[in-house]
Amino acid sequence: MEKLNVTVNGKFMSVDVDPELCLADFLRDRLFLTGTKIGCGKGECGACTVIMDGKAVTSCIIPVMRAEGSVIETIEGVSDGDKLHPIQEEFINKGAIQCGFCTPGMIMSSKALLDRNNDPTADEVKEALGGNICRCTGYVKIEEAVMSAAERMRNGETSK
Amino acid sequence: MKYVIAQSAEEALKALKDAEGRGTIIAGGTDVMVELHEGERTAEVLVDITKAADLRGIRIDGKEIVIGSAATLSEIASDPIVRQYYPSLCKGTGSVGSLQIRNTGTLVGNIVTAQPAADGAMSVAPLNPVIVVRTFDGEKRLKISDMYVGFGKTALDTSKELVTEIRIPVPEKDEKASFVRLELRKSLSLPMLNAAAMVKYSENKVVWARITMGPVGVGPTRAAAAEEWLKGKELTEENMAEAGRLALKDANPRSNPLRGSREYREHSLPIIIRRVLEDIKAQF
Ligand code: FES
Ligand code: FES
Repeated sequence: MEKLNVTVNGKFMSVDVDPELCLADFLRDRLFLTGTKIGCGKGECGACTVIMDGKAVTSCIIPVMRAEGSVIETIEGVSDGDKLHPIQEEFINKGAIQCGFCTPGMIMSSKALLDRNNDPTADEVKEALGGNICRCTGYVKIEEAVMSAAERMRNGETSK
Repeated sequence: MKYVIAQSAEEALKALKDAEGRGTIIAGGTDVMVELHEGERTAEVLVDITKAADLRGIRIDGKEIVIGSAATLSEIASDPIVRQYYPSLCKGTGSVGSLQIRNTGTLVGNIVTAQPAADGAMSVAPLNPVIVVRTFDGEKRLKISDMYVGFGKTALDTSKELVTEIRIPVPEKDEKASFVRLELRKSLSLPMLNAAAMVKYSENKVVWARITMGPVGVGPTRAAAAEEWLKGKELTEENMAEAGRLALKDANPRSNPLRGSREYREHSLPIIIRRVLEDIKAQF
């Protein structure tokens, strides 16, 4: 066991962890933040995407100790209670969700992009979401959702 | 398992020494983690170098661009120094995996995993990089061709050795580089073929050319026959096409069920080499 100091969704914690865990397992099994999904477990599908120190990363291949001293944001931290973030609302409004398994990862990748650049080009959206695979929607509606969320964020909307 | 977060190269080497061969360096970990989980690799001690200040960042030192071994592919792809001198290296590093992978993976890792078509390694290969390795009793400087001993096999012993940085000469005005990949899809997929080149071109003559290609051998493979033939020649359509054909002399592609048969790759390689040269020509 090793000591890990980390901030998850705004809460600082100092916990003992098994260093063999990946970050996704830690989030899901220790913190019960099961919104982060595990698809491939190899960094190839993006379902486990979380934001670590402002950057989108696939948490299934991040050793948990890598999170030492970092700030992690998961899908559970995106809304403000029941008030959804514009990205979440636009995914719903545009029909960018079908089975929903890819959605938390898609939203975290989108948020990492829009937090830094709320006026992205279509190419920038595609680059940001290139590592997120969806087997249902065909991506067009996802791109539309990100674009309209960007517009709302440019107008100052957030969840908080 | 023990996880050591090294704050410097010195600390990383000490941790390796203490582990007595049962440790391994981990940078981005995008490959190491998968191998550990699938049981393809064992390690009792992981030595994480991502927080080592002296291994991070990208800088100019005299006439060299120095890329720390903990610099991520994303950092390199968006770095203003790299963009100014070697846009092709931005393109190559920006083609690996996905944004999430590039946010954690490193260029050195992309070399050390020794995949013959790794985009980052391919794009840096013709730039004449020097790979600086620290061992328990000193330092050695390797060329990119020294880094590969077989398919997917690195020459480096990551239980004893640590790459600290890659040093790339700043190009002269008459030297340009390029990188091209033939891809099934942009993200999360190795290319069917990739190639890179650097050419010194003076008074409409090739002074020298370095052309690398993959996956057609162990690591980025030099198109030696094409390089030799190009010397003293102008980069005309015919000459670039001929260099493409000559590249086949040094290429031995395998068939891959996902990324193209040997025949397909042999058919396409001359076109990819021609494109790499056309891209260089367009920069003059
Ligand atoms: S589960 Fe992490 S990328 Fe697929
Ligand atoms: S909605 Fe089903 S995988 Fe994307």
